[in-house]
Amino acid sequence: MKAGPQSAFATFGAEAEYLARLTWWMVGGAVVIAAVVAAMFVVAIRSPEGAIGDRGGRRLLMIAGGLVPTIVLFALLVTTLPAMRPIRAEAGDLRVRVTGEQFWWRVRYQPAGAAAVETANEVRVPVGRTTVFDLAAGDVLHSFWIPGLAGKVDMVPGRTNRLVVRATRAGRFRGQCAEFCGLSHALMAFDVVAMEPAAFDAWLAARRAPPAVVADAGMRAFDAHGCAACHRVAGTRFAGQIGPDLSHLAARATLGAGIRPMTRANLIRFTRAAPDVKPGARMPAYDDMTDADAVAIARWLETLK
Amino acid sequence: MSEETPGRLHHGLRARILELRVTLWTLIVPPTVWAVHFLFCYLWVAISCAKMGGFPRFPTAFVAGTAAAIAVILASGVIAWVQARRPGDPPPHDQSTDTDRTRFLAVATLLLAALSAVGVAFTAAPALMLTDCR
Amino acid sequence: MSLHAQDDPQLRAAQEERLRATWKPPQGLFLRWTDTNNNRVGVWYTLTAFGFMLFAGVLALIMRTQLAVPDNDLVSANGFNQLFTLHGSMMMFLFAVPMFEAVSIILLPQLLGARDLPFPRLSAFGYWSFLIGGVFVSGSIFFNAAPDGGWFMYPPFTTRTDLSGLGADIWMLGLSFIEVSSVAAAVELIVGVLKCRPPGMRLNLMPLYAWYILVVAVMILFAFPPLIAGDILFELERLLGWSFFDPAKGGDPILWQHLFWIFGHPEVYIVFLPSIALFAMIVPTFARRHLLGYPWIVLAAVGTAFLSFGLWVHHMFTTGLPKISLAFFSAASEAVAIPTGIQIFAFIATLWAGRVVWSVPLLYAVGSIAIFVIGGLTGVMVAIAPFDWQAHDTYFVVAHLHYVLIGGTLIPLFGGLYYYWPLITGKKLSDRIGRTAFWFLFAGANLTFFPMHFSGLMGMPRRVFTYPSELGVDGFNLASTIGAYVFAAGVLLVCIDLALSPRRAKAERNPWAAGTLEWLAHPDDEDWGIRSVPLIESRYPIWDQKDFVRKVDEGRFFLPDAEEGRRETIVTTVLDARPLQVLRLGGPSWKPMATAVALGSVFILTTYHLYWWSLVGAVATLAMVLWWLWSGTAEIPEKDEKPIGHGMTLPLYLSGPSASGWWAMFITMMADATAFSGLVFGYFFFWTRHEDFPPSGVGMDGPGAFWPMVALGVSLASWAATVAAREVHARGGVSAARALLAAGALLSLAAVGAGLAGPWTTGLEPKLHVYPAIVWTLAIWTSAHSGVGAICQLYALARSLAGRTTPRHDADVRNITVYHHFLAITAIVTYLTIGLFPGLA
Repeated sequence: MKAGPQSAFATFGAEAEYLARLTWWMVGGAVVIAAVVAAMFVVAIRSPEGAIGDRGGRRLLMIAGGLVPTIVLFALLVTTLPAMRPIRAEAGDLRVRVTGEQFWWRVRYQPAGAAAVETANEVRVPVGRTTVFDLAAGDVLHSFWIPGLAGKVDMVPGRTNRLVVRATRAGRFRGQCAEFCGLSHALMAFDVVAMEPAAFDAWLAARRAPPAVVADAGMRAFDAHGCAACHRVAGTRFAGQIGPDLSHLAARATLGAGIRPMTRANLIRFTRAAPDVKPGARMPAYDDMTDADAVAIARWLETLK
Repeated sequence: MSEETPGRLHHGLRARILELRVTLWTLIVPPTVWAVHFLFCYLWVAISCAKMGGFPRFPTAFVAGTAAAIAVILASGVIAWVQARRPGDPPPHDQSTDTDRTRFLAVATLLLAALSAVGVAFTAAPALMLTDCR
Repeated sequence: MSLHAQDDPQLRAAQEERLRATWKPPQGLFLRWTDTNNNRVGVWYTLTAFGFMLFAGVLALIMRTQLAVPDNDLVSANGFNQLFTLHGSMMMFLFAVPMFEAVSIILLPQLLGARDLPFPRLSAFGYWSFLIGGVFVSGSIFFNAAPDGGWFMYPPFTTRTDLSGLGADIWMLGLSFIEVSSVAAAVELIVGVLKCRPPGMRLNLMPLYAWYILVVAVMILFAFPPLIAGDILFELERLLGWSFFDPAKGGDPILWQHLFWIFGHPEVYIVFLPSIALFAMIVPTFARRHLLGYPWIVLAAVGTAFLSFGLWVHHMFTTGLPKISLAFFSAASEAVAIPTGIQIFAFIATLWAGRVVWSVPLLYAVGSIAIFVIGGLTGVMVAIAPFDWQAHDTYFVVAHLHYVLIGGTLIPLFGGLYYYWPLITGKKLSDRIGRTAFWFLFAGANLTFFPMHFSGLMGMPRRVFTYPSELGVDGFNLASTIGAYVFAAGVLLVCIDLALSPRRAKAERNPWAAGTLEWLAHPDDEDWGIRSVPLIESRYPIWDQKDFVRKVDEGRFFLPDAEEGRRETIVTTVLDARPLQVLRLGGPSWKPMATAVALGSVFILTTYHLYWWSLVGAVATLAMVLWWLWSGTAEIPEKDEKPIGHGMTLPLYLSGPSASGWWAMFITMMADATAFSGLVFGYFFFWTRHEDFPPSGVGMDGPGAFWPMVALGVSLASWAATVAAREVHARGGVSAARALLAAGALLSLAAVGAGLAGPWTTGLEPKLHVYPAIVWTLAIWTSAHSGVGAICQLYALARSLAGRTTPRHDADVRNITVYHHFLAITAIVTYLTIGLFPGLA
């Protein structure tokens, strides 16, 4: 059993580590209880008539059926209740607003005392610091789940839910939408990168500057096909808000909300036939886009680092 | 009849309890109290958090509600205890007689009172350990 | 005891001839479907539910095939969403709950030594509603129009007509229709258990299955109506654009989750407890002794029923509610494991104390408990909220719920099938095939669902039509798929065994040597149910009562005859089963079927937005119901009383709280009041959600206090007139009662107008905001009930004028008074809430 990037056992957050330990403890307890009950059934079936009398049976019922479970369950409840208290967040903590959309993630970093950074489909967290996620939904219900970091929290239209986390080690991980949200619910994931604090600060500062944009044929094709109606690219006049922010698209590891590696072939395919790759996505198909245009757009997008 | 099972209860009270009717409705008194207490806890939190912005330092209403619930369950348990011990054969109470029907219902009520008391204790535990609206 | 009469074989033969003629099923291609006898209706019901189960199982196999390998494209995303939505919805609404009701319709009269249930036509109505609604919902997948929003139908995805099509309406309306039939069956079963027990079967002697039926049916009564309330809000939003779940207009999607899970969690126990009930019959039979800890089982059943209503938020642990609210539900979810454990240990203790005879039904019982225990333990885990934040909406939960439902519903039902098949058909199923099938089912279930615990915690969410290889769950998924086919092979074996049954010879009577009443059934059974209604002195009368079977067969107990050629059964008191009445039962009739068709048309036509036609359907339904009641209920008998043997004479007519009809009305109105409280919950829920509730602005100021207070006054006056009518009527004041009923009807109609006048005159615009929408909903609900109240009063008036209601035979007047009691409570709550609460808030 090799834990993948989205496993609750490949932990990199304080809450997930506690939950992984809790899981193993409870599994252990469950195995013991199941074994004892099974053994009692075997003994009960094999024992001769009257092996226990009415009184003995009622005593068994009261102790094994009533008292013991009550004590075990109460102990379990009381020991796990404190874990429900969320990590305490301070005013100066990094806040990240993540909005679930069909079928991608709008991500906005709001560090204390600095300008916000808008991006999409990738979440980065600093190791050792407290990060506050403000979780919202743009259209329907979604659920924000990074198993290695913490439990999931739903994104509910009209509400803002909060999840406070603290990453404990650096690495690349994966998160996914956990609440059924429509046709491409299965195709709504995102990359998660936990970084050392200094590296994180440097990265966030770099993101605040626009990418070096080359005004080439690809950019013109991007414009001509109306891509800017939905997508924003910092440093250009493209400022669409409907779809994911493409400002530093090529710096992300995956395309289409964590479902395809960031390769030119995938960029071309997604650009021309998004509904095939992602059923129900709002991005239309561009069947009449020429090969030359598609390649040019893909090349241009690859320069956005 | 009180000679056979000398309880700590006052004899007049015991006799009164033995006269109480035992029905399907009295059977569900303890769990109903649990349900009412549960609903009370839920509403108390919902209204405190949504309308008052938090809990008072000492949750008077919550403590009073819980104490009342425990008291009613306890009372119904004591009544059931007395009624279950009215004279007759040992369990199982499976004769087609008034006494056995009453004793059976009383035993079931007693057990339900125990479960309901445990239920109230379970429900009340969180309020001792979590004290804010986050 | 005057047993001598029954010593005469000729007399017995003559009695049997009369019983046979009375209970003769209708013949003919169409007429045979008008039968209402519980044996037939129960069997149709069971077979239909079984068919839906197989259908939903095939849907699951297709899903598992799609998920066998990563990035598979056998099924499209759209197809997959329809598959899992329909699989879950069908298994819950068209299989698990109806199956319990179907089996109970067959078994309950036999368990209680009754000739039939108290309202056979209501059972038939429930069946036909179930069939129509079920075919409508499940058939939609063949038109690629099946619901695709998940069996939980969470808005706003499902309320947005641009995102979800007709399927959502089919789900809401089709299943609402089935919920109505479920509630109808629950009414039937509750009255059956409380009022139709044989003389002597006091509460402490009731078969445990009957206890469970009582508990489960009461749970249905309180669990389904909140969902019906939710359905109403949902369709008002979808069809009329009223706002309840749309945050842009003050709504909140979380309200639906509350209403759905207030239904949804008790539902789990509604489908699980009947299986425990089957175990409670099977285990004593094969332990060859009384079940040990009878009051403990009753405790567990009643306790589970209550606790199960305090669990619903554990389906909403991740929605961001205050942690302390979650903790209450977490605590209750832990506590509910206690009664569950008690039941399992009662079986262990019984087997331990008894002399176990190994058999196929016992194999199924023990095996399914093993599976269920695993599901129960993972249930304790997911009840811990922090753990649930990881496990929720992943394959871990898929594993958990299938362990619970397969171990707690499906395999026990197969066990019940092997146990009760001889009772229903007179033939045993094959032990060999049964054992083989069991091991396929057992191995298949574990191979399918055990790996899902791992795939879930390794990051696989639920309801995904595909998954990438990088998660590392390929092997687990392939194992699950193989397991699903192994399980399917087990089901197929059971089906083959069933198909071979007609070719097998009849078994002996009571082949398991059981001790409970239902095993009186004879392989060559007649349609009359039981030859004579016995006097019960034990929990296991066949084992304990001397010459019991012979005495029943020779008609030496009660009601051995059908002198007047009428179908009859005995009504007794609730606590002690003292005989009260000989109840005349409804015979074959096409009216239940026609009523179901009419009611079904209302729901189905509304789905297609054919509102005028559905109004026609509604009028037809009302007409059919009235005709059915008029022609088939509260009939004045040709004589006051009749002898039932042993020198006992019972009245043929009862009214008031001792009569079965009164109980049916009372219980139905409990369900109605529960649905209403769901709507009231909505009002106050929105109050907690908004700083300014009620809001102010054009179209939102209302309904004022004046009209609601007028409506309240008129409603209470109508109630007082009804109660007065009942009282003077009972004292012989027939004309005064008629006048009061007529006045009451006028007052009820005035209440309709006054109730609607509040929101109408203040111009509340329900499309604008949730406040006007919920006020209108409460006003319409209450006004509609006042309208029905007027119909009730006019009905009683008409019955009196037609001579079908007299001071001596006044069931109609008493029953409509029960309705008006509830109506008065509804009016008080509604008009105080919408009229005065805004001033307070």
